[in-house]
Amino acid sequence: MFNYIVRRSLYAIPLVFGVALITFALFNLVGGDPTPKMLGKFATEEQILDLRKDLGLEGSRLDQFIFFLKQCATFDFGYSWATKQKISTMLLDGLVPSLTLTVPAFFMSIMISVSISLFCAYFRGSWFDRITVLLCVLGMCISMLAYIIAGQYYLAFKLDMFEISGYEKGFAGLRYFFLPWLIYVTVSLGAEVRFYRTVILDETGQDYVRTARAKGLSNPKVLFKHVLKNAMIPILTNVIITLPFLYTGSLLLENFFGIPGLGYLSVKAINESDFPVIKAVVFIGSVLYIFANLMTDICYSLVDPRVELS
Amino acid sequence: MRTVLTTLTVLMVLAIMGIGAPGSAYSEEPDTAVRLAVIADVKGFDPVISDDLYSNTAASQVYEGLTQYSYLERPFKVVPNLAEALPEVSEDGLVLTFKLKKSVRFMDDPCFKATGGKGRELVAEDFIYSWKRLADPRKHSSGWWIFENRIQGLDDFRNTAQAAEKTDYSVAVSGLQAPDKHTLVVTLTGPYPQFLYVLSMTFASAVPREAVETYDKEFLNHPVGTGPYLVKEWIRNSRIVFERNPNFRKEVYPSVGEPGDKEAGLLDDAGKVVPLTDRVEMHIVVEDQPRWLKLLKGQFDVGGIPKDNYDAAIDKETNTLKKRLARKGLILAKSVEPDATYTAFNMEDPILGKNALLRRAISLGYNTKRRINLFYNGRAIPAQTPIPPGLFGYDKTRVNPWARYDPEEAKKLLAEAGFPNGEGLPEFVYENMADSTSRQFGEMFTREMSRIGIKMKINANTWPEFSQKLRTKRAQIFGVAWSADYPDPENFLQLLYGPNESPSPNSANYKNPEYDKLYEQMKNMPDGPERLAVIDKMVKILWDDCPWIMGVHRQRFALQHSWMRNYKYHAIGKGFYKYYRVDAALRAEKRKKL
Repeated sequence: MFNYIVRRSLYAIPLVFGVALITFALFNLVGGDPTPKMLGKFATEEQILDLRKDLGLEGSRLDQFIFFLKQCATFDFGYSWATKQKISTMLLDGLVPSLTLTVPAFFMSIMISVSISLFCAYFRGSWFDRITVLLCVLGMCISMLAYIIAGQYYLAFKLDMFEISGYEKGFAGLRYFFLPWLIYVTVSLGAEVRFYRTVILDETGQDYVRTARAKGLSNPKVLFKHVLKNAMIPILTNVIITLPFLYTGSLLLENFFGIPGLGYLSVKAINESDFPVIKAVVFIGSVLYIFANLMTDICYSLVDPRVELS
Repeated sequence: MRTVLTTLTVLMVLAIMGIGAPGSAYSEEPDTAVRLAVIADVKGFDPVISDDLYSNTAASQVYEGLTQYSYLERPFKVVPNLAEALPEVSEDGLVLTFKLKKSVRFMDDPCFKATGGKGRELVAEDFIYSWKRLADPRKHSSGWWIFENRIQGLDDFRNTAQAAEKTDYSVAVSGLQAPDKHTLVVTLTGPYPQFLYVLSMTFASAVPREAVETYDKEFLNHPVGTGPYLVKEWIRNSRIVFERNPNFRKEVYPSVGEPGDKEAGLLDDAGKVVPLTDRVEMHIVVEDQPRWLKLLKGQFDVGGIPKDNYDAAIDKETNTLKKRLARKGLILAKSVEPDATYTAFNMEDPILGKNALLRRAISLGYNTKRRINLFYNGRAIPAQTPIPPGLFGYDKTRVNPWARYDPEEAKKLLAEAGFPNGEGLPEFVYENMADSTSRQFGEMFTREMSRIGIKMKINANTWPEFSQKLRTKRAQIFGVAWSADYPDPENFLQLLYGPNESPSPNSANYKNPEYDKLYEQMKNMPDGPERLAVIDKMVKILWDDCPWIMGVHRQRFALQHSWMRNYKYHAIGKGFYKYYRVDAALRAEKRKKL
């Protein structure tokens, strides 16, 4: 397995290089010049040129790209052009709120959706199964924005069940996350229940299930002990591949609920052509994605002994 | 893993039950903190980078300048702040001597090693250092324009620093002298009547050299000023908590206002020592809905009315607050922003630039009143000239002959211009931003133009693209808004001054030697009938040449709760949190009913 991990890690290098190249090319092709905004409405051409020189934008593209690669290698992305803040501090400040929002909500949605899917599979074709599928389709049709606006207005403002928005550090601040979690889970359920239900139903059609039933095993035992275990590969794939995206938070939830996470930070950076921040977010995201892929493969071998990492 | 899952489940159940979350973070607190909402975060607390509204507002609670705006008086007026009085001015108007208030101290901070962390006294050298810092090319400050070519020797200092590897702050500037620690003598390069206005801007605030050198690049996160508040907490993109600066000198609430202020209770605290409250919280709420709902819940004490909530808040017939909200104790405050929106023609365009009749025709085909209803909820007044209300030179009786909607007259002018029904004209390009409101704005413009026979297409841009086109004179027709930097008509009339052509703010690239001559005369004149006469002439030239389609001057509608005291919107000055307070008992009682 060690050799496999080393080899996969080495494969990651060209991938990361590719991501860096694409990010760099996109910024230079469509990113726009951020300097006039940084210098304000009375900026002269001379001041703009000076600032561009200081930011390294006047050097050759190759030099700029090499500088970018160095930053990627050292994970030191310097300072934001727009806010003058240190990027590592900005990312760390945004990471905790983003993860506090997405990680619990993500795992709650997995638990709930897998549970519902098992029930649906168990009661396949029953009214429960049909209504659940119908609700899932309906749920998928409604945009998250509608859930947010309605939830914030009725549950928080009218019924006083939750905070309208806000953020505080520490455990006391968790109360601000209850409604965003609820919305995140509700929005995720539609797609996830449908996916996991299909995965589980695929498994229930396998020969080993018929064999288990022929041996006289009860339905719950077949489902929870055999089917769930075998359905773990697609479930794991879905879960682990989603994990890297959790770090960027959720733009809509963060904006509406005043959560100072990385989603808002990233979009703001794009709007302001704040390249150092964009670079950092994209690069770290891609590294996490590659890492998650590797983890998925390792997890396959753990949950399914037939999978060999060679 | 099981424990983690159990905890998460319990939290989810708690959430669904709403335990501990009854929208009540503040409802039972008998606190005196003032809570305000803003729509974007601040960059940091460094006066030289405080160029956006929110960074400027936040920094001006901590840092102060020699002068400030009078909080209550209108028209806007400059009064002393860290200066004991307004400066003595030499006969030629070029030498200004400021006497600093004595015993003003910076807030305590570990950067003051010589005093063991105790904030040291503010001295005249602090201003010299701070203004050199603004001039330092390595700071890339967007505020440098306030002193550029204005103070003797300061441009040389900047040029020397530019050529050197490192900025040497020990280099003397002939126009900035400190004969003693409480006297600052400033020598200007020429008349600069707006100088006291720019000194009231946050850019010109005093910062202690010790803090800048100790924290270096992190200085913007370690505010050390002389202001009424220090920064107790800053959670980026979430909130800033200001607490009373214990070192703040004795300063009192103003006792002079404008007519109506006394009746509005704005002079009730006259003579009281400020800051009137120990804590002010600035909450960053990006989206309109939560900001609005929190205001209605009493979690913010003052707030604006989002565009989408306007109909729910304002009775359109009477333009007053709806009874439902008035019964909750909310009070509507209206004010006109000193700003102007306009649609500019690029005067270097071979067709538009050479044909005043064509520009007038386009202006007559543009329906400003309809825009005010559709896009501003009626919260704007049509602009007749670039000068907004509240500034010297604004005259509400002026009527721009081309700033009215008259498509029939527009068609006639178009024919006179040699383009009957738009024949012979190419398709014009209207450059605007890519957001949905700007697109709607542009679509309305193209429809209006097609009605008079002019073909026009919209080109949507990001801000960097848009700004680049303006700077490089590549935009043909485009919409811009300008907010006052200081309350002087010069700040608006310079937008059409020939030498200020792109990349400077005259993006229309309008050049009229007569206008330019009058501008040069007007900019250094004191307010009075003579200056007004010059402004009149300039306005008439602009009307004739029609380089802009005049837009609007926007109005601001704000709501405040009945418990909020001393809130009066000041469109230019920002360091006024020191005057705010709330009636805590009333707030606690009223909130229960919200």
